[in-house]
Amino acid sequence: MKKFGNFNIVALVVGFSFLYIPIILLILFSFNESRLVTVWGGFSTKWYVELMQNQGIKDAAWVTIKVAFISSTVATALGTIAGLVMTRFGNFRGRTLFSGMIYAPMVMPEVIIGLSILLMFVTLAIDRGMLTVTLAHITFSMCYVAVIIQSRMSSYDDSITEAALDLGCTPFHTFRLITLPIIMPAVVSGWLLSFTLSLDDLVIASFASGPGATTLPMKIYSMVRLGVTPEINAVSTILVGLVTLGVITASIIGRRQKNTN
Amino acid sequence: MTETTTTEPWLDSNQKPYIQIENVTKKFGDFTAIDNLSLDIYKNEFFSLLGPSGCGKTTLLRMLAGFERFTEGRVLVDGEDITEIPPHLRPINMMFQSYALFPHMTVEKNIAFGLKQDKMPENLINQRVEEMLELVELTDFAKRKPSQLSGGQSQRVALARSLAKQPKLLLLDEPLGALDKRLREQTQFELMDIQEKLEVTFVIVTHDQEEAMTVSSRIGVMDSGKLIQVATPTQIYEAPINREVADFIGDVNIFKGVYKGQDEKGTQLLSEDSKSIIYATQKVDVPVGNRIWFALRPEKLEITKKLPEVDCNILKGKIEDIGYGGSFSTYHVKLENGRQLTAIRANRERTAEHHLTWGDEVYLHWAPHSAVVLLS
Repeated sequence: MKKFGNFNIVALVVGFSFLYIPIILLILFSFNESRLVTVWGGFSTKWYVELMQNQGIKDAAWVTIKVAFISSTVATALGTIAGLVMTRFGNFRGRTLFSGMIYAPMVMPEVIIGLSILLMFVTLAIDRGMLTVTLAHITFSMCYVAVIIQSRMSSYDDSITEAALDLGCTPFHTFRLITLPIIMPAVVSGWLLSFTLSLDDLVIASFASGPGATTLPMKIYSMVRLGVTPEINAVSTILVGLVTLGVITASIIGRRQKNTN
Repeated sequence: MTETTTTEPWLDSNQKPYIQIENVTKKFGDFTAIDNLSLDIYKNEFFSLLGPSGCGKTTLLRMLAGFERFTEGRVLVDGEDITEIPPHLRPINMMFQSYALFPHMTVEKNIAFGLKQDKMPENLINQRVEEMLELVELTDFAKRKPSQLSGGQSQRVALARSLAKQPKLLLLDEPLGALDKRLREQTQFELMDIQEKLEVTFVIVTHDQEEAMTVSSRIGVMDSGKLIQVATPTQIYEAPINREVADFIGDVNIFKGVYKGQDEKGTQLLSEDSKSIIYATQKVDVPVGNRIWFALRPEKLEITKKLPEVDCNILKGKIEDIGYGGSFSTYHVKLENGRQLTAIRANRERTAEHHLTWGDEVYLHWAPHSAVVLLS
């Protein structure tokens, strides 16, 4: 048993190192005094201060947050409706096709999604900018919300809805007063997930964005092409922090929801 | 059977039925869940729909509530056709099998929910909620969430919530199904008390025949989307209309055989089991030679060691099994042809003095008026 335990520990350490050493290094070097990325020159937060003075990065961050906020909100609304419809209608003809079509963007190569969105905008002669990035982000994050809502609804007792109707509540008010509050945790975690997805998307944003709307990941990517600086490490660390926060919050909400069931 | 049912007070022609279910059919694709069913229910009745699972009883209940559309037929409540009225506008409330309490609301908010939908003034709502909480003895639990309640308490909240709007008709879908036996028996009586106190018409769906017999004014036995028999619990038990009903309600011994005519002792049946003539008082109107059946409840079979001093209906057998049930014992007696009959005897004496045991040769007999003659 002991031998087996050791093996497990080693596997765990190797696995997690593989996953997290690059990120830990990045975070570590964002606090590096030295300008050289690979040489440790003592602890400092000066790159964060410098970051605050970099107008280009600040603009990109602001664009990213706006895009993420709007796209995740719209995606949550659409995804919730899709998820509800998929569970409400039971087994209709073509159900498998429809649910497959909702899931498809999750497994579709991002390059393909980005390219097809780009082609659509070109065809429709829509100028690329904030609007197009936002639309593109809504498209791909919607399916994640739909999946979350659908899995929540699978454990939802339909007679609760029926009970509300039975007690004289109209179908619309039943959704507002009963269904929505009950599935709210799933809606919130769907929103957080699509917010973080939008926050760190590079590929689709690169296709869909125009000159005026550079997102933070795009900005970082273009800066890296001129060489990695501790400044990039700093901004990446902030991004990692934000995403981690989002994911943790989403999972806490998810767990709380499970407990109340 | 029709002669006996017309003597029932609710079939008094001066009384108008309160719920009229007229030629209702429900199809799910090719499957017929309810097959041209008609039924009248009277005001303040406690009516049970009883049947095996899949017989259509829950579908019928959901149609009354408005959750299933009618393929054909209509339903009148107090003279008003409700067939096309959506569930939230029907004067009918339902208590769900899963209770379906709103998990994000307290007990009092759950009960108040229906009243709020009616835009009832706040003070009246509070008053009614309090009455309801008192009725189900949950006043101390008003501020609790459903997740903090026991099964029995949840059941009472669900009942209070469905009664709060004073519906013309309350539908109960297996209301006691999730409770343990003891609590269930106690709740049956509470349910009857509440129904009497509030004078609401109850229609309850159950697969538990004892529950149906205890609480109901009348029982409708359903199978395959049809009502087989609608009658009082006593009639259903003592005068089942056919073997199916007899078999579904309680235990029964069925004797198969050929009709041999009538004499002074009653209807004669040449039993396939004993190859002898057995008797039932009840008369039948079928040609001699027809296949008929006698149904005999186990508690109506006398079991003795001595040859009983009667002139008919004596069968000889051997005790195969004894089930001791405290207040009564169940005996499985094997006849000479291998057929097994069930007899129940109340344990009036202490067991030690009981002289019947495994392997004993015994005689079974019954009074001719105890047997029911069945034609199908």
